[in-house]
Amino acid sequence: MNNWILQTEGLTKKLGGKAVVNDLNLKMEKGDIYGFLGPNGAGKTTTIRMLLGLAKPTQGRIRIFGKDMQKERMAVLRKVGSLVEYPSYYGHLNAIENLEAVRRLLGVPKSRIDEVLSVVRLTKDAKRPVKGYSLGMKQRLGIATALLGQPELLVLDEPTNGLDPAGILEIRELIKSLPREQGVTILISSHLLSEIEQMATRVGIITKGRMIFQDSIDTLRERAQSKIRIGVSDPEAAWKQLLAGGYQADWDRRKLTIDRAPNETVAAMIASLVKHNFSVYRVEEEGASLEDIFLDLTGGEGSL
Amino acid sequence: MVRMFRSEWLKLRKSVIWLLAVVSPLLAALVGILSILDDAEIIGGSPWLYALSMMAALHAMLFLPLLTGVYAALVCRYEHAGGGWKQLLSLPVSRSQVYLVKFAFIMLLLAITQLLFLAALLGIGLSLGFPGPIPWKEIIVACLGGWIACLPLAALQLAVSTAWSSFAAPLAVNVIFTLPNMLVANSAEYAPYYPWVQPMLAMMPRDEMSFGAFNVSPVTLFAVIGGSFLLFLASGWTYFSKKAV
Ligand SMILES: Nc1ncnc2c1ncn2[C@@H]1O[C@H](COP(=O)(O)OP(=O)(O)O)[C@@H](O)[C@H]1O
Ligand SMILES: [Mg+2]
Repeated sequence: MNNWILQTEGLTKKLGGKAVVNDLNLKMEKGDIYGFLGPNGAGKTTTIRMLLGLAKPTQGRIRIFGKDMQKERMAVLRKVGSLVEYPSYYGHLNAIENLEAVRRLLGVPKSRIDEVLSVVRLTKDAKRPVKGYSLGMKQRLGIATALLGQPELLVLDEPTNGLDPAGILEIRELIKSLPREQGVTILISSHLLSEIEQMATRVGIITKGRMIFQDSIDTLRERAQSKIRIGVSDPEAAWKQLLAGGYQADWDRRKLTIDRAPNETVAAMIASLVKHNFSVYRVEEEGASLEDIFLDLTGGEGSL
Repeated sequence: MVRMFRSEWLKLRKSVIWLLAVVSPLLAALVGILSILDDAEIIGGSPWLYALSMMAALHAMLFLPLLTGVYAALVCRYEHAGGGWKQLLSLPVSRSQVYLVKFAFIMLLLAITQLLFLAALLGIGLSLGFPGPIPWKEIIVACLGGWIACLPLAALQLAVSTAWSSFAAPLAVNVIFTLPNMLVANSAEYAPYYPWVQPMLAMMPRDEMSFGAFNVSPVTLFAVIGGSFLLFLASGWTYFSKKAV
């Protein structure tokens, strides 16, 4: 036994003959804020739909709270709150009635409605029909609905999509405060690294349906710092020279970099370049941003 | 199931649906009054049954089947419009429950429509001072029969309305199938097997009409109604439980 709160094994979804989600092994621990990152069309929403039982996997298994999702769907969903893609709402009803329609299904006490409304700060507007709400307010109502059943797992699909910067900040602060205040584990998807970076503890990066990175945010950060850039005359020849000398080096047609290495190794590499008559102009630590890593991993399809 | 019902009730309570339920009985009442005033002397027969058949001709041939489609579209509309399906189905509810409760609500709305129709008929009869005892049995059989004959229509329209997110498309289907009623009703050959005309056949007092299909045995009619109902309900239900949202 392990204590993954959510785990998929070889999760695959084929749509129109194409594997939109391909062999995904997603793992979340209790208390994580899991950032599920990927460019548009990567398969995030499709994955989340399967996690919630809205669509059937073509292959693979989903375990949530250690239970098989296909077999114990109802028991699992009782402890999951979700917001998929766009917030769902009944426009002709006000916020309280919207929450009440869900509350009647969940069978939680009426007092929860006031509680979640105050968590998302909608108490003042609660008596207006939701069709007059701004997108940010609808989004907050969606999060309130997701929180209504006191879920142990919260699944939020691009909850800041389409919001202005102030709205984004507001939702982000709200989400960051949740694990502390409500004791939930959160899966949050986004195509924006900058957004996830500030709240996630764990990151999964998906592109073209495949998971290409899954680890703690710190591991991702470490990868982001570990390059040394060498400014040199004729870098391509210098790169070949280094490889011939048995050293690790990267040449991407723009710059010559080496992975972070002990001081002596770096010194030896520079000495060998000098010995072979290359002019070394610069040796600098490259503080590659997470964004670079993300672009690198997703093949340039990511965006700010 | 009770929870589901109460949740659905909340969504429906504040909707425009209630206005619609009133319209058809009112129009039927108007027709009833006009035709009674027209033929002040009814040759034999009961004025009650005469009024019933006049009102039912309009109500059951057109409005009742059309309203069935409108109700089905409306109980699905607020789910389609605000992304309600994905929220509803990611809650701990079974899809069968969702589907059956939606169906129950269509039938509830139709029942209310029939009660209003009944009230309109009684209102006319009493205010115009129809002679003789009220033929309760015939009237109630007609209203109840009309309601039961709507079962297959409601099942089909619910299937179509859940499948298509458009509001107009299911209604168009319904209109296309309902309009031929005027022709089909007169055909002894086809009418017994055409689901959309059943509400009318069921609501017509038998001894008033003797043309077309109106003499077909109730057993046949109910076999057709029951058969098509089960077929439509089962297909819609199966589709909905597998549908990706
Ligand atoms: N019903 C469908 N049929 C075929 N392809 C689909 C369907 N729905 C989504 N897709 C494709 O699946 C891919 C993943 O979509 P999605 O999961 O929405 O991505 P994301 O949420 O990461 O932006 C996209 O390339 C999209 O075009
Ligand atoms: Mg998406």
